[in-house]
Formats: sequence, C-alpha cells, structure tokens
Amino acid sequence: MSSSLIITSYSLLFLLLFSVSLFGFIIIRRLVLEARQVRFQRLYKQIEKDVLEAISLLKPDFSLEVARRHKGHSEVLTQVLLDFGDIIVGEGREQLRIIFDHAIKDECLRRLASWRTAKRLQSVRLFIIFFDPAESAFLFRLLNDKPIVKLAVINALARIPSPETLSHIFKAFEEDTGYAVQAYFNIMFSLGNRSEPYVKAFLNKPLSAEKLGLLVELVGAIPLRTLYGDVIALAGHPDKEIRIRVARTLGKLLIPETVDTLVALSSDEAWEVKAQAVKSLGRMKNLKTLDVLGRSLFSPFWHVRYNAGYGLAEMGEEGLRRLKEVAAQDEDRYARDMSVMVLNDLIFAGGAA
Amino acid sequence: MGEILHVILHIVNIIILIYFFLINAFYLLFIILSLFGIINHRNLTTYISFKEVFRLPLVKPISIIAPAHNEEKTIVDSIQSLLALEYPVFEVIVVNDGSTDRTLDKMIKAYQLEKSRRVFRKVVDHKPVKGIYRSPSHPKLVVVDKVNGKKADALNAGLNISRYPLFCAVDGDSLLEKDALLKMVRPFLEDPEKTVAAGGIIRLINGCIVTRGQVQEVRLPRNALARFQIIEYFRAFLGGRIGMSMLKSMLIVSGAFGLFRKDIALQCGGYRTGTIGEDMDLIVRMRRYLHDMKRPFEIRFIPDPICWTEAPETLKSLSRQRNRWHRGLLDTLRYNKVMLFNPRYGITGLFAMPFYFIFEMLGPFIELLGYIIFAACVGLGMVNYPFALLFFLVAVVLGVFLSLLSILLEEYSSARYPRLRDILILTLFSLLENILYRQWLTLVRVIAFFDFYKGKEEWGAMQKKGFAQAG
Repeated sequence: MSSSLIITSYSLLFLLLFSVSLFGFIIIRRLVLEARQVRFQRLYKQIEKDVLEAISLLKPDFSLEVARRHKGHSEVLTQVLLDFGDIIVGEGREQLRIIFDHAIKDECLRRLASWRTAKRLQSVRLFIIFFDPAESAFLFRLLNDKPIVKLAVINALARIPSPETLSHIFKAFEEDTGYAVQAYFNIMFSLGNRSEPYVKAFLNKPLSAEKLGLLVELVGAIPLRTLYGDVIALAGHPDKEIRIRVARTLGKLLIPETVDTLVALSSDEAWEVKAQAVKSLGRMKNLKTLDVLGRSLFSPFWHVRYNAGYGLAEMGEEGLRRLKEVAAQDEDRYARDMSVMVLNDLIFAGGAA
Repeated sequence: MGEILHVILHIVNIIILIYFFLINAFYLLFIILSLFGIINHRNLTTYISFKEVFRLPLVKPISIIAPAHNEEKTIVDSIQSLLALEYPVFEVIVVNDGSTDRTLDKMIKAYQLEKSRRVFRKVVDHKPVKGIYRSPSHPKLVVVDKVNGKKADALNAGLNISRYPLFCAVDGDSLLEKDALLKMVRPFLEDPEKTVAAGGIIRLINGCIVTRGQVQEVRLPRNALARFQIIEYFRAFLGGRIGMSMLKSMLIVSGAFGLFRKDIALQCGGYRTGTIGEDMDLIVRMRRYLHDMKRPFEIRFIPDPICWTEAPETLKSLSRQRNRWHRGLLDTLRYNKVMLFNPRYGITGLFAMPFYFIFEMLGPFIELLGYIIFAACVGLGMVNYPFALLFFLVAVVLGVFLSLLSILLEEYSSARYPRLRDILILTLFSLLENILYRQWLTLVRVIAFFDFYKGKEEWGAMQKKGFAQAG
C-alpha cells in the first residue's frame, strides 16, 4: 500500500469520525436545549405565577415565602426578575426586591466576579434594577471591567442621586477612549439637570473633539439652557464638527441671545455648518433673521437651500411670503425649485392632516 | 513523450491538491473564526435590550433604498415590512426602475401615492426620473419612478433623493425583520467615525410562512435547489463573511441588505452603473478610496440582523443568478486590479483581493481542470483507482464536515429552523450537494467567465412566486 493511499485513508477516517461526532453533537445539543427549554418554560410559568401574586398581594411575608420557594431555581428566577423588574415600579418593585435580596442576591454578587462576561452583565443588570446605594462599592470595582460591563455599571450608577456617583461617571467619561464614548450620551442624558455643573466644567476642559461634541450635543438634548454661554464660546472652534453641533444645540435651546452667533455661523466657511445654522435659525422663528434665511435660499449648497426653505416655512406668514416670492422669480432656478418644493410639501402635509 | 505527459499530469495533480488543501483550510479557518465571533456576539448581546438603542438621541436617521424592477408579486409585502421596521427616524425610498409589469400601479393603489414636486441634488448620475410619489397615509414612504437603468442606476437615484446620513440598500423583493436596523446600526454607534459599512445575514424565505410582510414561521422549502442554497447561504454568511469580517477583509456587503455611510459612498461616486455586481463593487471602491485617503475604516458584519429573500427554484433561474454574480465578481476584480497584491492597500490588497482572485475567480477553472485531468488520466490508463476513490470520498466528507460546521454556526447564532427534522434534512442535502449540484455550479461559473469576456450584460432576473406562495 503506497504512502499516499495510507494518508488518504487516514484522512478519510478522521474526517468521517469528526463529521459523525459533529453531527451527533448538533443533534444531542438540540435535544438537550429543547428539554432544558421545556423545563425552563414550566418553571418560568410557575415562578411567574408566584411573583405576580406577590406583586398583587404586596405582603412582604408572602414575597419572602416566594423567595424561599424558588431559591433553588436561580437561573429561571433571574430571568423572571429581569423581565418584571424593567416594567414594575412602586410597591410592586419592592416585593421584587425582597425576592431578589433573599433568593439570588448572594449568587449575583458571586457572579459579578465570574469569568464569563455574560454572567457579569446579567448580574449587573439585576443590580441596576434593584439598586441599593450600600452596594455601590461592588459596582465601582467593575468600572475597570470590559467596556460593555463598565457601561452597564455606569448605567446603574446614574440612578443614584449622589454627587459621588456623578463624579465617577464623568471621570469614566474623561478616561474612556474609543468606541464606548457615544454610549455615555444615553447615561448622561438620563442624569438630566443634575449633570449641569459637570457638563459646564467639562466643556471648558481640553477634551477630544468627539467628547466635546458629545457634551455640546448633550446641552441641547437635556436641555441645559443656562449653559448657552459655554456653548457660544465654542462657535469659533477649529473643528467643523464642533461648530455643527454648536449650531444644532443653539437651535434646540432657542435662546434669543444666541441669534447673532447663529447668524455668524450661517456664513461659516463649511457648508455643513451653514446648513445647520440656517436650520436652527428657522427654529428660532425670529423675524429679524428672515433676510438671512431668504439669502440662504440662493446658496450654491443644496442642504443650505433645503434648510433655508423649511426654515422660512416655520416662520409663518412672513416666511411663506418670502417663499412665494422666490418661487415666482426666474433668475435662480435652484432657489425657485426649492421654494416650490417646500410650498408643495406644506400643501401636501395640510392635505394629509 | 509519454514520460513528459506523465510529469506534466503529476505536476498539475500536485497543484490541484495544494489548491484543494488551501481552499479548505481557509474555509475551515473562517468557520472557526465565525464560531468564536458568533459566541462572543451572542454573549454580549444576550442581556442588551435593542429597544434601548431606540431611545438613544444620537442614533443617526436612515434612508432605506429599495430598487424594484418587475416586482409586482412581492413589492407591497416588501414595502409593508420596511415601513413596519422599528427605528427612530427613517424613510423608505422605493425606486421603480422602469418596471414593465404593474409594480408602480400596485404601489400607487396600495399606498394611495400622489405625485410630489420634491427636488433633489443630483450628486451621482442616473437615468431620468419620471416622477416622485408620496403617500399621505405613510409619510415615510417615497416612491421614485425612473427610466430603466439597472440596479446600480436605481440605487444612485435613491442616493440622490435620500435625506439621511446613513442609507440601507435592500432588494425590492426582500423582507427585513422588525429589529434589523436597530441591530445593524450598532457598529455605527460604537465607532461612528471609522465604521463605513455593515452587512447583515441573508436568509432564504422559500418555504416560510409570511403574513403582513413578516416571516411568521420558518420552514424548509420542498424544492431541492432551494435546500441546497440554504446550506450555501449558511456557509457564505455565517462562515465566510463573519470570518472575513474578523480578518478585516470583507469585500462584499450583500446588495440585499447593507448599511452604508452616505458621505463616503458619494465621495466614491456612488454605485458604478456599468457593473452588475454593484454590491461588491461599492465596497471594494470604498476600501480603495479610504486606503488612498489613508483614512482608518471598519466594514463590519453583524450576525443577527436578518433579511429574508427568495431563492431561485429552477435550474435556469439559478444558473442566471450565479452567472450574474460571477460576472459581477470578475468585473469588480478587473476594475480594481490595481489593488491586487498591492501592499499600499493593506490587508485588502494582500489578502482579501488575492483570496477572491485565486479562490473565487480561478476556483471554478481549477476545479474543472481537476475533472478534465481525471478524465485524461482515465483515458491514458494512469489512474490509481483506489486513491481516486478515496480522494473523492475525502472531498465529499470534507464538504459535509464544513457544511455541518455551518449548521452548527446556525444553531449557535439563531437556530431559526425549529424542527429537528430540518437539521436532518439539511445534513442530508449537504451530502447530496457534492453529487452533480456542485459540479454543475462550477460549470455555470466557468461559462460566466466566458460570458463576461464576450461582453454579456444580461441581468438574469428570476421568476418571482411571491412570498405567500414561496416554498
């Protein structure tokens, strides 16, 4: 028997063995998962029934009894608490907390140290729902974890109304690099006005353009109207993205004192900044800016014309008059077409209403 | 003379063996990488509620562009599925690319479309637009009626008319799952500067039960060709693309479902209208442009946003589709040949493009050469029959093994086929595909090569059955 024949025979043998094992693994895994799913569903229904009863009875003794009864089924109980914890508030949540505290809290604390990210994440989510300020130390330790766990922790911290947690969140924001930065927006947004002193301080720090832009955007989203002065100070920032965000934020804050800044930004060298400034001016509905918007309708940039058109439409009767004038002229067909489209759109929207 | 022929045949045999070893080693590597990628992705997303993405004020709005040409049987369901998507701000732009059937009439009737005087910026070129329609009852819907110019041209028209910074290219005959956009947008949130494109999974709708534009029950089709294609799609999307994405070498974001940054696509000149493989072409040109500009970028593949599409169920329509795909590949490789083996284009020039060139473009020829050499050896009495039989069995079992691994990937990623019977049937078909089906596909791709050099430009549209009757 030649060596090539022997090698091929062995290859075939091993491949057959691997394939049959793999096939067996797929089938057995499916059967095991199905069986586990059936058991999980059965237990889930049972626990769900008890938890619902605890929520409606609002008797701590009964909730304790439920915790004792299902302590052995931590996986299913965790899922039930995750599902209900997000939607139940008030006294019902307190009953869920009793069940959590007495049935699976200890295990959750152990899971916070698990090597499996999914387990840590699951536990963090439970702590987010049933947060007890006394446990913040456990969560602070996880601030050095993987980005996804760290974000979940920060999310949990955002629910605690103490200056200490705010400082942790902003410190993490300052130190964090890369992809998680955007996710901070959601967390800081949930802090609302509480974040104002920190946002003000951080707007004056030498942060990266991405972080600074995010903070500017945050001022408009919450909105933090008293910080308009700090935002205006960034209108001359060398980064175009920051200027765009400044223009957008001012359009959300709607403070009359910022009109001059927006007018200045409407003649910025970057068309994206111009377009955003024009859009924000439209939102301000300040009749003094009619001329700026009217001129912008003749801009060589489509987006500027587009925003100017809709900006004028928001100005009411006077804006509509300007649009009709531009629609009737023939000197600039681009400005005319845009005005016609905006007017047509107004009629369309009116018809739909 | 006989001695020389013997040596030549021996050398060719060795080349074919090396090729066989290399291609299967790469496929195995991709599948193993995918397995890690899927498990990691699943672990991280199990406890993330995608509904939370919905609340993020920084989520960028998306323009969905769906070109449609003679899609009268599926267009209303497709639009319904697109309008039902869960996403904060989006618009649906359906581009009727000169359909000769009742596609436009059906849309006008179903959505009470009215002609609009919307103006748009013509940044990229396309055939004339005959009219833009809007629906009073569905303000997110915009229908563009234009002169036929093929898919790339229709997508360009959609790009010009779209308003938002991200665009999602979908086929007019595809159905997206409700949370597909929310899942797909994740890399654009994680790294908005670097992420320029993302692709999701394409699954076959044949055999599934569809109501109101959504897949209600996943079933295997009865048609054998469609079953073969299900396994192929598992291998291509769950194995190939996730693996390629992990190696930062993804060259294809499927035209049926891909999310792109509009500014980058426009800076590359939009879709190239001369090509029929517009999806691969756009990604390769984006990579080329970004490498030229020395800008860091990411093109990601996300394993859980799902798009359902109908697969051809006849040999004729399948051969047309594969012929078109292969011609598209050849065209893209030829158009961007400067990138091949060029270190200036990083991993794209040194790995991704050469991989497609050697294993996808030349692959069918090498496979065909193998069959021809085998026939020649039989004729010359040079065949070692026990070895040939064993080698054939090794090739078949290796193919089945790779298919089983891709079925395992499917089980780990979403396990959409609920019945155990489905797994058994798919395993059986992964065995059967090695007999005739695989060889036939090789021949189709070889013919496509010659068609391409003859200048064939036929699109090769397939006969649609409509979702309700699919299967």
